[in-house]
Amino acid sequence: MAVTVHVTSVIQQAVNGQREFSSDGKTVGELIGNIEREYPGFATRIMDEHGALHRFVNIYLNDEDVRYLGGKDTPLSDGDSVSFLPALAGGI
Amino acid sequence: MPRIPQSIIDEMVAHAREDLPDECCGMVHGRDGVPVQVHRVKNDAASPYRYEMNPLQMMRLERQRDDQGATLFAIYHSHVGSAARPSPTDVRMAFFPPGEIEQEPMFPGTFYILVSLAQEPPDVRAYHIRRGGVIEEEPIEVV
Repeated sequence: MAVTVHVTSVIQQAVNGQREFSSDGKTVGELIGNIEREYPGFATRIMDEHGALHRFVNIYLNDEDVRYLGGKDTPLSDGDSVSFLPALAGGI
Repeated sequence: MPRIPQSIIDEMVAHAREDLPDECCGMVHGRDGVPVQVHRVKNDAASPYRYEMNPLQMMRLERQRDDQGATLFAIYHSHVGSAARPSPTDVRMAFFPPGEIEQEPMFPGTFYILVSLAQEPPDVRAYHIRRGGVIEEEPIEVV
C-alpha cells in the first residue's frame, strides 16, 4: 500500500530532513520496517528494542491516533497519510 | 532577553484563565526574533497537572512556520497552582527521548514561557532549557 508519510522536528532529522515522503506497507508496523530500511535509525525513534511503540511518539493514520485503531497492526490503504509526531508535554 | 509585546502576554494569560481548571498550552510564532502571533493548541491531557499539545495541531503549525518563514519563538503553558518555573517534568519532556538531557533539547533556541495563575496578577516568565537539563531564566522585557 503506497502511503504518504509526514514527520516533524526531531523525527524529521532521521529521514534526511524531509517533512513528507512516500513509502509503503500493509500495516503501520510494516511501514516502520520499510522506512527503517531506507533510513537506518528511524525505528529506534518510534519504538523500543522490543518493538513496542514509544509513548512519547504519536502516530496518526489520516486524522486518527493509531493507539485507538490497531497500533502497529493497523492496516493501511493506498493513499493513506501516516504522521509520526513527537509528543510535546509537561506538567507540574 | 526576550522582548515581548504586552498584547502577546495578555493573550497567553487570557488563554490560561479561559482553560481553568486545566493547564493551557500553545505556541508563539516569531519573525526575525520578534514574537508576532499566539497560537492556542488543545491540551489533549485536559488536566490541571499536565499538558500534552495536540500533535496534529502542532504539525499544522510547524508546516505554517515553514511555509511562511516564521520561527518558533516560544512554547507556553500554564501552571494553575504553582510557580512560573519549568517543573522537572517540563525539563524531562524538553528532550527526545524524554529525559535524555545530554542531547540538544528538541527546540533549542525556543523560549519556554510559563504562565502561573497561582497569584494575582499572574506571573509570566521565560526560560531556556539547555543541554544537561539546565534551566536559565531569561527576564522578559515588555515592549
